[in-house]
Amino acid sequence: MNTTTLAPPAKRRKKSLIRRFLAGPLPWITPMLLLILGIVLWPVYEMGRTSVLEISGSGVTKGFAGLENYRELFDNPNLLGAISRTFFWVITVVAITIFISLFLAQLLNAKFPGRRFVRYALIVPWAASVIMTATSFRWMLDGYYGILNRILLDLGLVEEAIDWMGSAETSLPWLIIVAVFVSLPFTTFVILAGLQTVPGEVYEAAKVDGASARKTYFSITFPLLRTSLFIATVINLINVFNQFPIIWVMTGGGPGYTTDTTTTLMYKLAFRSQEIGQSAALSVVNFGIILIFVLIYIRATGFGKRED
Amino acid sequence: MAKISLRRGAALALSGLLAAGTLAGCATESTDGGATDTGSSSSAESTTIRVVAAQYTDDMQPYYDDLVARFEADNPTINVEVEVVSWNDIDQKIKTMVQTNDLPDIGNLNYFSSFAADGLLYTAEDLLPAATLDDMVETFIENSKYEGTAYAVPDLASARLFFYNKDIFDAAGLTKADIVTWDGVRAAAEKIKATVPDVTPLALPLGPEEAQAEFLIWAASNNGGYYNNDAWDITSAANVETLEYLQGLVADGLTNPSPATFNRTDGAFALFAQGQVGMLNGAIFLPSVLEEQGSTINYDIAPFPTNRADGTSITLGVQDYFFGFKNEGETNKAAVQAFMSFLFEADNYAGFLEAAGGFLPATKSAGEAMSSDEALAPYIAVLPNAVFYPGAEASWPAVQGETQQTIGLAVAKGADIMSVLEGIASKAE
Repeated sequence: MNTTTLAPPAKRRKKSLIRRFLAGPLPWITPMLLLILGIVLWPVYEMGRTSVLEISGSGVTKGFAGLENYRELFDNPNLLGAISRTFFWVITVVAITIFISLFLAQLLNAKFPGRRFVRYALIVPWAASVIMTATSFRWMLDGYYGILNRILLDLGLVEEAIDWMGSAETSLPWLIIVAVFVSLPFTTFVILAGLQTVPGEVYEAAKVDGASARKTYFSITFPLLRTSLFIATVINLINVFNQFPIIWVMTGGGPGYTTDTTTTLMYKLAFRSQEIGQSAALSVVNFGIILIFVLIYIRATGFGKRED
Repeated sequence: MAKISLRRGAALALSGLLAAGTLAGCATESTDGGATDTGSSSSAESTTIRVVAAQYTDDMQPYYDDLVARFEADNPTINVEVEVVSWNDIDQKIKTMVQTNDLPDIGNLNYFSSFAADGLLYTAEDLLPAATLDDMVETFIENSKYEGTAYAVPDLASARLFFYNKDIFDAAGLTKADIVTWDGVRAAAEKIKATVPDVTPLALPLGPEEAQAEFLIWAASNNGGYYNNDAWDITSAANVETLEYLQGLVADGLTNPSPATFNRTDGAFALFAQGQVGMLNGAIFLPSVLEEQGSTINYDIAPFPTNRADGTSITLGVQDYFFGFKNEGETNKAAVQAFMSFLFEADNYAGFLEAAGGFLPATKSAGEAMSSDEALAPYIAVLPNAVFYPGAEASWPAVQGETQQTIGLAVAKGADIMSVLEGIASKAE
């Protein structure tokens, strides 16, 4: 332990600097920092850089383009529709998901025979690949072969087969239903976890005070779910916003651009319209939008502040 | 204490480095193992070329495996790595390689002009010896030119014809002679609708998969199209008239209800295979699709119905390309040339066509050899009247992309045809 004190002063200072470095947190977090730099920050930088480059249809970089890509993007006649649809899509899907999940979590938190199996069953939409789920729905809703049309026709509910994916009026609601379907398990389990952290004594106290079930829920359960609701909402906001496979498999954003969100439009700009610069600009805009979504939500719930 | 933990830390770090080093060693060994284990690294310089090839059928990979094995036996200093990529991914794959400056040496796609415009490609003369180029069908070489110079060579081509279900036609009292003109098609479709219920009289797949072809077949039958007399001509009166005609068919329920989301393979071809479609624009490879789906329908082929004043009927010729990417210093030129020449040797090229299955050959000699093939004969016969995509235009890929996305909207009931066409025309420069 005391060996260092015997060393000459100059050497000692140098040595202790190294030692202090090695003994400090840096050597242990450096790999993590490098990982974050490499995996998170570098792509963000590359994304921003690409958006100000002129890139030809074949993918060759032609030089600096300034804000030209952004100008073209904002002139794109399909952008406004896609942005407003994206807001509608995200807010609707997340709101419906959270609403249904609150009920499901309550149900799964109650004690009843076979609860374990119901919990397992709820995981299925989560465990199944989203592509598979979307493909199944796409064919269930097909105008020619779809099982849904068969059922509706046999029950006499419709006169003739409906091509559900044929127009945005009928396909958009179905896209939302599928997105809610695949978002439910995760959300429900986050809320369920939240419910299980509520201590039983609180409920007992409420019972003793003679609080009604409704009162108990809104005064005790719901406020104590704040953290889990916050996590569920933010993660869902990001997931649903970035949701690509459901829309891509079921409608491809079509017909035309009528069911595109900014995420699918970004893909189509790059790989269908050969506008790689515009697509890069849109990905920066997307990044901005998702930040705004999350900031608005944090602001509205005042979550960050109280957490401090 | 501090010393011990330091030492332990150093040991850990060292073992980590060692592990990483070993891994890296493995990686380098495996990537160039093929080249070094012959021990020739000091003498002859060996080159590796990468080929990204289209997966016409599942037979392509075995074909290339065999081809490369024989090629490498003849050319010990050249290594060839062939990656056979499905049609869904190959466009994106090659484009990503270009974007990341990780160029393949040979590409195989349905367009080449945007690469040529960026100066990335060898000319056709660099790729193949003059004798082989002279053997190519002239129209195909003509379509491989960008600003007057051929930068790609055709690998094969396909042609389209009209298909109809004979049983449905019999039931409706129709014959081949009834569907020569557009008016005839309309009348036939009405008759089918009236006499054979639950059948789609005419399949109109204007979904993104192949809408650019479907539209061009109809438009060119009316003297329209994308590009006429050396200029883009997308908003022409002929195109508007074409879309009005199709819109009328859709509105009267003579086609599938929503053409804009109806794709060729899983929509039109699948329905036709099940005997649910009266007639449709088919292609040279449709019979093999029908066979694959175990279809037993009774069908025949006919020329495309025409609306031209002179009554001539067109076909759509579609050709795919091989092209060579220049790398830095053009050091891959000799290897690329050697491999391309090898592939186009008569026997090897015949094998290529056989593996690709049911396409038209790009060389005259192979064409002559195959002209006795009864299945191909009708297509070879209509080739003189073939129209092609304006594939030599650098903005064609963008025009094609926009057409695939939006042209289907123009035939919906009450759609504004002109605004759809203008949207597409805005992509042509």
